[in-house]
Amino acid sequence: MYLMQSKERAAIQGYGAYVPYYRLPTTEIAKVWKGGGSGPNVEKAVAAMDEDTVTMAIEAGRYAMKMAGTERLGAVFVGTESKPYAVKPTSTIVAQALGQHHTLAADLEFACKAGTEAMQIVTGLVGSGMIEAGLAIGMDTAQGRPGDDLEYTAASGGAAYVIGRKDKKSAAVIDCSTSFVSDTGDFWRRAHERYPRHLSRFTGEPAYFHHIENSVNTLFKETGHKPSDFKYAVFHQPNPRFPVEVATRLGFTMEQIKTGLLNPLIGNTYAGSSPIGLAAVLDEASPGDKILLASFGSGAGSDAFCIEVLDGIAATRGVNPTVKSMMERSTRIDYSTYSKFRDKLHK
Amino acid sequence: MARKAYVSSVGFTPVGDHWEKSIIDLAVEAARGALKGSGVKNPGQIIVGNMFSAVGASQEHLGALLASALGLSGTPAYKIEAACSSGGAAFNVGYNLVRSGAVDSALVVGVEKMRDLEPEEVSQALAMAESAEYTQFVGATFAALNGLLARYYMEQKNVTRDELSSIPVLDHANAVTAAHAQFRKAITPEVVGRSAMIADPLRLFDCAPVGDGAAAAMIVAEGGASAGKGKLSEVLGGKIATNEFSIYERDDMLDFKATRDAFRGATAEAGISPKKLSLVEVHDAFSVVGALSLEAMGFSKPGEGSRDAKAGKYSRGGELPINTFGGLKARGHPVGATGMYQIVEAYLQLTGQAGKNQVEGAQYAATQNIGGVDSTSAVHVFGRSS
Amino acid sequence: MAIRHWRVKDRYYRLIGSRCTECGAECFPPVYRCRKCGSEKIEDREMPQSGKIVTYTQLHEPLPGFEAQAPFYLAVVELDNGAKMLTQLVDSTDESVKTGAKVVATVRRARVDGDSGQITYGYKFRVT
Repeated sequence: MYLMQSKERAAIQGYGAYVPYYRLPTTEIAKVWKGGGSGPNVEKAVAAMDEDTVTMAIEAGRYAMKMAGTERLGAVFVGTESKPYAVKPTSTIVAQALGQHHTLAADLEFACKAGTEAMQIVTGLVGSGMIEAGLAIGMDTAQGRPGDDLEYTAASGGAAYVIGRKDKKSAAVIDCSTSFVSDTGDFWRRAHERYPRHLSRFTGEPAYFHHIENSVNTLFKETGHKPSDFKYAVFHQPNPRFPVEVATRLGFTMEQIKTGLLNPLIGNTYAGSSPIGLAAVLDEASPGDKILLASFGSGAGSDAFCIEVLDGIAATRGVNPTVKSMMERSTRIDYSTYSKFRDKLHK
Repeated sequence: MARKAYVSSVGFTPVGDHWEKSIIDLAVEAARGALKGSGVKNPGQIIVGNMFSAVGASQEHLGALLASALGLSGTPAYKIEAACSSGGAAFNVGYNLVRSGAVDSALVVGVEKMRDLEPEEVSQALAMAESAEYTQFVGATFAALNGLLARYYMEQKNVTRDELSSIPVLDHANAVTAAHAQFRKAITPEVVGRSAMIADPLRLFDCAPVGDGAAAAMIVAEGGASAGKGKLSEVLGGKIATNEFSIYERDDMLDFKATRDAFRGATAEAGISPKKLSLVEVHDAFSVVGALSLEAMGFSKPGEGSRDAKAGKYSRGGELPINTFGGLKARGHPVGATGMYQIVEAYLQLTGQAGKNQVEGAQYAATQNIGGVDSTSAVHVFGRSS
Repeated sequence: MAIRHWRVKDRYYRLIGSRCTECGAECFPPVYRCRKCGSEKIEDREMPQSGKIVTYTQLHEPLPGFEAQAPFYLAVVELDNGAKMLTQLVDSTDESVKTGAKVVATVRRARVDGDSGQITYGYKFRVT
């Protein structure tokens, strides 16, 4: 058995997403670098110049704690590949801002799946009884080299989850998960480099598809679940095409994935990508709904989760702004403003 | 029983760009003027009013430095700092030392060297008069605080753009004939209203300029051993008061409580009714500050300061002339020296030495010098000596 | 972050101000003595994260270290408990920034130290 399941079930007690205010239409990028047209997505979310992973993690963390009604976190994990400091934890700044000191704080890095592994770790700590509740955050201000294809999608945003022991107030139970990893160098960034590098077609079949198919099929095999058991499915979304393709291969329909498919309008928020997709689903799901969540991180690996919505979801409505409302509260910027905001201009 | 104290002479440099002169060059020039005119060879005390010599000139310890430069080593000397009211505060110390009998004479020199700094460095230096933790922290300059105040004033009191422009216009009109003023060109309300936006709604011409300068006065005691010579103007009263430190901490942002209290105290000490004042030098670092100061001193009703100025009440030849050599906007605002320029100007008026800017028959004058946004206010009242 | 900012980080991150244990008055920034009743019995208190604009300005020439953000809005904000404070406004349109507009707190980068590169985080507000 490869399935990971805590002896005592852990559950999502509260969640919070964060999408920054600014949007860069991909036509702006194409105009500058490709001679026109647009990217695979319509636009992407861009953090303001005074925002970073820390500030966005605090925003999402506050929402999650407010929804959970908790003031005490036994763990704070921030999964990100855009730490403001190379050396100095992101998680301690976030913990301080959330009023947490007696807490296990750590930064996790696994390209785009650092957020979901934070969820697995907190699930384990809660399930073992080591902590009452912990916070798992996936958040990034993702960067693409100017002119690189990645620049169309590399976006800012993510989500935070307070995971605690399953009780009457729980919004959704994390029933089980799997992880599948291998040494696959599809995308990387060496120390001291500003932007990640990637191999083009290699990022697809041997990387994204191979790992997600393995984690999800293992979950199916060992739980006996099949695609039709799930009301919703959320896959990591580096572009609008991959999650649709992998869903089809695994036997899911558009109907199941559309709620959590945010890439066309906000881009790829890296470690925040699948967590914020899950948040968008939880905003609309009903008790009893099952959700399949599968992340992918280059390097490479995938975590797949089976999550079931509980009665407590009703009480979470209206506590925080929905993902949809955050996506709607936005303003368009041009490429030069984006360059200034994201520190691409050097004086 | 306190003795009478007088200003017996003054010295000053023009306000402006003194590229060739250091902070101590400027202070020596003004001090020599005051020493020479008074005939006092050995003042009992030297006091320097200065705000940011550490930042602006990499120089502290101005008291001993100036005493030594003047060949007066041995004389007690120190600097007084109270942001933009450093000059007024320094004078107040000198006045009280002489009045109390501690010394027979005191040389007070206000000096500031601002032009060695780039504009953003000046902003930073001035912002040090406000809270490092809660005002500088948010990037707010002095202009920003006054922009917040100006919008509040205009919205609460229905003050128009043209009305707000009236004090800068008045200042520039008075400075045309003032030899030591930094800007000697008349302007119109349209010029103010069209100038570059600094901190909405405040524009460039709402704000006092940056300049170098030094101004000095000799204070002597009645019948003191070193009374010397020189035309006398009596220092009738002088008070300093403070307000809640930052505007956002105050119940009523439009109440310049420090100015109100200092003015009441100074006129009471002088024993004269404010109605008897022939002129007032008002601290209009920003147009809105001038208006609120006039209101706090009771010359205008709340909300009417700018409107009264527009109606001519405060112009030369009006009911109460203010800023007779151009005020902070046109004479200039070398911050730590400003309070001493005001006192020098009051002295020139009361001793009949104001030339083309003379207010005829001037009997009593007041000077009002603010630090911060009315966080400190130093008010002095002077009389003509018969 | 500079040591003088480290010292007050909870005030910057969580709006920890003062509450008078005698009369209940609350304020931010914190005080040593109650401005309402004069008591020195003061305790730390987390301020409400929302309020309204009392007055505002758009600053074109800010202090050094803030130039890249200019022009930006500054406002005096009255929090829901009556405390008045000075803050930057972010993510707010020109049309939305008005006297009386409702605002909520957020945490942003306040400034980045030029030499050391240390980042200071702190409160800013946005119009809701």
